[in-house]
Amino acid sequence: MNSLPSPSQADEHAPAITRVAQGQWHAIEDDLVVGRGYASRRPDGRLFVGIDSWHAPSFDRLADALLADLPRPLYAVVDEADLDATADWRRAGFTNLRRERDYLVPTDPRVTGLGAAQPPLGATRTTILSLGQAQEGPLRSLDGVIRAEVEATVGWHTMPAEILPRPAGDTVVDPSKYAVAAQPDRYVGLVRVVTLTRRPRIGLIAVRAEQQRRGIARALLGNVLASLHDAGFEAASAEVDESNAAAVALFEGIGARHQGGNLELVLR
Amino acid sequence: MPGTTDGIKVEGTVVECLRSAMFKVELQNGHMVLAHISGKMRKNYIRIVPQDRVLVELTPYDLTRGRIVFRYRN
Repeated sequence: MNSLPSPSQADEHAPAITRVAQGQWHAIEDDLVVGRGYASRRPDGRLFVGIDSWHAPSFDRLADALLADLPRPLYAVVDEADLDATADWRRAGFTNLRRERDYLVPTDPRVTGLGAAQPPLGATRTTILSLGQAQEGPLRSLDGVIRAEVEATVGWHTMPAEILPRPAGDTVVDPSKYAVAAQPDRYVGLVRVVTLTRRPRIGLIAVRAEQQRRGIARALLGNVLASLHDAGFEAASAEVDESNAAAVALFEGIGARHQGGNLELVLR
Repeated sequence: MPGTTDGIKVEGTVVECLRSAMFKVELQNGHMVLAHISGKMRKNYIRIVPQDRVLVELTPYDLTRGRIVFRYRN
């Protein structure tokens, strides 16, 4: 890990580290807070850490304190363009876990080409239910099936981050944020959109494994993006694991622009 | 914590998102600073886009640079 001198050998003005609350540390120098460390668990149980500091010695001392106090594995997220932050975490022993692309997704049907996107024709009729129209029971059932399918293959940790706290065992926080693809006896696809801010976030889009490659995801996107466009939003954001070729193709195929991304780091 | 002081925090509006994970922010006093997003906001996927109102903590070492520590709701 790092090889900084012990506090007793360091400059007398080196920051002192204090744990100020559960999951919070401060770096103090001349009675001024010059750095902060945080730790919190995501709904999936993983422990994520963050450090804000103005210079490397503060970062390193905060990292030492966090790593001494917290169990492994630990995770951190950095902007892939922030080379300084990436170097800081690597110096603390973190390594790359996965890379996530950040997309700017247009909502104008004339740009996405999704104006005519319809649910696939076939033996079973599929209908798109817009945001807020899904019934909670079938939605929760679909959510459970999709999570099990993803967990059995690439792992749910590769999906876009879920941050909002939720009651134990509940993975559908707010049904009104979902649009679904419905067949007569069940739901087969979903998309989750959050519109709290100036730029809505497409937090999740997924289709049952046996229903994939039939245009259902495109139809879902067409529906929600058209709704967002009508509401005055020019674009939405979405994060995609760079190893998810299908999702990358889906978003880039509708004109979404790759505008940076995140690196998820891990210390085991 | 008694006896310690947080950095100077000033409200501002995001003017431009730059490529290097940095933002140009115009503070309430009219000054322009270069700011990055705090680690806490980054790990919680809190995004910043132009015209967002934000709270910037200025570094004590350079008052033209800072860290975005809070984004106000529209």
